Amino acid sequence: MFLAEHLPVLIVIILLICAFLAPLLYRRHPRASGLMVLFSLLFSLILSAVLMLKVRQEGPFSYQMGGWPPPWGIEYMADPLRVYMLLVVIAVSLWIYLYAFRDLQHELRQQVIGWYNTLYSLLVASMAAMTMTNDLFNLFVLMEICAITSCAIITIRKERECLEAGFKYLILSAMGTGCFLLGVAMLYMVTGHLNFGFLQDELSSAIASYPLNIFTAAALFIVAFGTKAALFPLHVWLPDAHASAPSPSSAMLSGLVIKIYAFSLFIIFYRVFPRSLLDMLPLSEIVLWLAALGVMFGSIYAMLQTDLKKMLAYSSIGQIAFIFMGIGLDQRLALVGGLYHIAVHAITKAMLFMAAGVIIYTTGVRRISELAGVGRVLPLVMLAFTIGSASMIGIPGTGGLISKWYLALGALEIGRSLFVLVILLSSLLNAIYYMPIVISAFMSQEDFRYKVKKVPVIFQVVLVTGIVIVVLTGIFSRPLIILLEEAVSLFF
Amino acid sequence: MTILEGLTHNYYYLVAIILFVIGMHTMLTHSNMIKKVIAMNIMETSVFLLFVAIGYVRGGRPPIISGSAEEIYINPLPGALILTGIVVAVSVTAYALSLIVKIYRAYGTIDSDEICKIRGDE
Repeated sequence: MFLAEHLPVLIVIILLICAFLAPLLYRRHPRASGLMVLFSLLFSLILSAVLMLKVRQEGPFSYQMGGWPPPWGIEYMADPLRVYMLLVVIAVSLWIYLYAFRDLQHELRQQVIGWYNTLYSLLVASMAAMTMTNDLFNLFVLMEICAITSCAIITIRKERECLEAGFKYLILSAMGTGCFLLGVAMLYMVTGHLNFGFLQDELSSAIASYPLNIFTAAALFIVAFGTKAALFPLHVWLPDAHASAPSPSSAMLSGLVIKIYAFSLFIIFYRVFPRSLLDMLPLSEIVLWLAALGVMFGSIYAMLQTDLKKMLAYSSIGQIAFIFMGIGLDQRLALVGGLYHIAVHAITKAMLFMAAGVIIYTTGVRRISELAGVGRVLPLVMLAFTIGSASMIGIPGTGGLISKWYLALGALEIGRSLFVLVILLSSLLNAIYYMPIVISAFMSQEDFRYKVKKVPVIFQVVLVTGIVIVVLTGIFSRPLIILLEEAVSLFF
Repeated sequence: MTILEGLTHNYYYLVAIILFVIGMHTMLTHSNMIKKVIAMNIMETSVFLLFVAIGYVRGGRPPIISGSAEEIYINPLPGALILTGIVVAVSVTAYALSLIVKIYRAYGTIDSDEICKIRGDE
């Protein structure tokens, strides 16, 4: 089919067109605008599934923008790993939008919802393109689109703490992109290429004559992606930004946006840097230790929080570190675990944020201490919260166990049993701050003290879907793991 | 060639890096938001300068074909890339400034330390 070869770019373009039409349509038909976003996400999801089938049947292929072959043109790659990430991005954002469709009407002023649709579609489009791009400068532009839109979906709320959190996020994220661009300049200086494939070829010979440039670039990339993905000491912007945003934005930011940067760092490690560089510099080791610290400190900070959404935001810092740990361990099974965790955490954390959003909408309560007994008045919502917590801890039957299991297997395989201990300890810490909420919600003697609104049907549908998917990723993980093992084996 | 010699030959790289560090330092340490935005621009401009400097070839002419094929041309690609970079930087700046306007209306100050204090009192 003629169209099949254009699939990588079509998915992005549909969302871009949708982004520009959404506010126009919103002026006349507010509902139609939201439905259009929903349907273009659904359409993109179908196209991504078709792309996945094509990649599985015919093998990876590259798409050249405008027919210009690399190194001149921009190239998009479709291989199993990137299409897996693309599917995660589109599927989770479709699911979150389903929630946002109803939730935004009470969280935002009416006149800005059309613009929210624009920002949302642009954000998804930039993330979808980031999964596939094979060009460093294109990655820079997409990162900036992603940064501006993700700040904007925070500051669109009129509360003043959102403005300040958004500004802090914008400044640190600008620092990240500044470092990234400087790193790109360093690599371009010695190789004259921006395409991943050409860079890798050139770098393996250039590393002998220009080691300093390449080392600086590697350091800058770690800082850049570390800041954007909230790797431990660079995480300071995350809690305020993720906690003050409207609930669908929180779900989106914690669920997908930080992961896309971790994924980009992974692609750069394995597709841009030659193997000899990774052997020469302890890059993986640095990422691994920062991740181990992040896992511990994220959980410890989360324990100290009194606000429900803030606690979830801090927990994201710990959970994103698991993905970095997969990259840092630099081992096949651990990498499978880390990549599986991208999907699991995207779904789980989005579900937890949406459950928190429903609780805040129906009861108006945000403080953890006031949630006692809420399980009896909002059983479905708290069930979703419980399943989500279980997956965060890694209880059997949920997706969280599988990713931690593979991470631990990978760590054992290369004799780093210390990190198995870190994983176990962090599960324990997760249990310490998630379980009391669940227990007091269901078992507390006192009744829930606040008035409770009815939970809209669409929220129930979204949460039930989430519960089902989290349990499915825990029980039927085999197909996805096989896919990831095949995809990862291309890298070693 | 030692590192020092390399730097004196390519002093424009050094200037770009100094600008980058000035920008980054100001951005992270100053509490005035407008200064942060200015610093962000200094930082981004330094990278743009570095990029454009990479593309320059000593004695080169703009890459427009004028008949004789023997001439030395500069590399036009970094210039084209940086044009995109400038557009991106302008939009980030515009967004940051508009945020500052809204922050000033909400808090009555553009000093991030004071805002921290206000939020602590709440």
